[in-house]
Amino acid sequence: MTFFQLARRNAWRKPLRTMLLVFCVGVAFLIYGLTASFLSGSQGSEGASENLLGVVNKAGRAQPLPLAYMNKIAADKDVAALAYMTRMRGFVGAEKNVVVTSAVDPRLIAGVNGKELGLTPELLAGLDQARDSVLVGKALAEAQGWSVGQRIGVTAFQMTKANGGRDWSFEISGIFNGADASTDTYFMIARYDYVNAVRARDRDTADAFIVLPREMASPGLLASRIDSLFANSAAPTKTQSEKQFLEAFIRQFADIGLIVNLVVGAAFATILMIVINTMVFAIRERTFEIGVLKTLGFSRSHIMVLIVGETMLIFVTGGMIGLALTKLATVFAGPTFGLVFTPVVLVKAILIIVVLGLVTGILPAFNAMRMPIINAFRSR
Amino acid sequence: MTITAQEAEPYIELNGVRKGFKFGTEGISIFSDLNLSIARGDFVAVMGPSGSGKSTLLNILSGIDSPDAGKVRIGKSHLDRMGESARSSWRAHNMGIVFQFYNLLPMLNTAQNVELPLLLKPLTRRQRSARVDTVLDLVGLNGRQKQYPNRMSGGQQQRVGIARAIVADPGLLLCDEPTGDLDRKSANDILEMLGFLNRELNKTIVMVTHDPEAARFARRTLHLDKGTFIEQGMDSQ
Repeated sequence: MTFFQLARRNAWRKPLRTMLLVFCVGVAFLIYGLTASFLSGSQGSEGASENLLGVVNKAGRAQPLPLAYMNKIAADKDVAALAYMTRMRGFVGAEKNVVVTSAVDPRLIAGVNGKELGLTPELLAGLDQARDSVLVGKALAEAQGWSVGQRIGVTAFQMTKANGGRDWSFEISGIFNGADASTDTYFMIARYDYVNAVRARDRDTADAFIVLPREMASPGLLASRIDSLFANSAAPTKTQSEKQFLEAFIRQFADIGLIVNLVVGAAFATILMIVINTMVFAIRERTFEIGVLKTLGFSRSHIMVLIVGETMLIFVTGGMIGLALTKLATVFAGPTFGLVFTPVVLVKAILIIVVLGLVTGILPAFNAMRMPIINAFRSR
Repeated sequence: MTITAQEAEPYIELNGVRKGFKFGTEGISIFSDLNLSIARGDFVAVMGPSGSGKSTLLNILSGIDSPDAGKVRIGKSHLDRMGESARSSWRAHNMGIVFQFYNLLPMLNTAQNVELPLLLKPLTRRQRSARVDTVLDLVGLNGRQKQYPNRMSGGQQQRVGIARAIVADPGLLLCDEPTGDLDRKSANDILEMLGFLNRELNKTIVMVTHDPEAARFARRTLHLDKGTFIEQGMDSQ
């Protein structure tokens, strides 16, 4: 037997109580895991680059910028690569089945973040085959059940065609995977020349320019310089990193981070109270036995280790169950809900498990530690 | 009154021990000037009516409680000068205790209960296991390692309690009414076992008991009344 086994025996002396505690902790970490995975996933901005800059209209993302800005931006010595993009929001089938299409120059977008998106030469060659070809992100393809060679119809919310219709037809020429699990692949890449030629309004404009700064260049300074170029123009720009861009985009709807922190904080605070309360009572029930252990020579620190070890066991078991369920959820529902269970989420969760295990164990352990043996023996 | 030792350097020595308790505003004195000397290898029974201070004496001898004044020395250790953690460490290495109601941990089996004091010693799992088997053999419980306390008779549980008390090989065994919860036959078995530990393994034993039959197994009997030893018997066995 070891100290750990002794703590385990103590924890399992009332299996139902322990299982309920483990269940509570498991649910708390499932909530944490899902929300943290959401933030890390394509719905969030964790996977976005701090380095890549997006140039949009200062008046709002819905206002386009002239394509002619391209040359001025490209002239800056710190610009390594530059691409432009027009976004078409639409739906497939039902209106709630929203899909986003980025109309780009394939060669230029490949130069800027082709590696991150996983745009291989084969995929780019496929896009060249027909003007209405599209590359579909893996997450979107899986969610919609699309495959290469399939023709799909997208009804745009706003972007009308020259003939007045809003139904766009594309043929899937390839599926891009993204560099890693946190890359947003819940969108399609279409050819700008096709979309620009067919759309009724805003021709020769872009919704955003994407700038890859040179190595060693300061993205912040470059962003200021770009914005100053157009400060006195009819369409001033706002340049931000991709991460800032996505965070600002999400904040349009709600401060997701704050909501997540509040939900997770409330869940953890509740669990903390439940476990502390239960452990205090559980240890109080065992006051006499703690007296016996002290009589046998167990010191205050031994008692502390035993009780903290017991709460730690409950938190580790519950936490790991919660995180395992999170992993399963991200595997089965990840692409649709934008859940990505990254190593960072795992490490943070493990740290929280350790901290909460310690915090919840300290109060009952402190009570037991300070209990004089004489008083412990009187408790029977 | 001082009970003299059988040898020049007593193993246990209490000098001028004073101990009292407060109940509300009232103070009750248990000992006002208690003196005691016990030689190494002695087997002493302490008898006395309820409230005479027998349990308080055991608590002071085990370092569970400290005297208000006076000196408590066991071997080379001065318990009255030690802090709580030092007394814990001292208990772990020098003393075993046998309780009236065994006080075994219900979620641990026999071997695990006996192994508890060894968790505090720098021993490997194999060494601990070997020691547990040895003492269980000594108390006649070989083969019952996996049995849980609730499946054992009172006598068997007390044997486990004795095995737990001696597994770390302490020099001193303190027994608090070790036969108080047992029938006569089981009680005699336990007392014979204590006698064996005293004779063959040279354990110094201090046993608190109400039972004159139990006291007969000790070498000496001390009678404690109103905080003072009033009588002694030598080599009654």
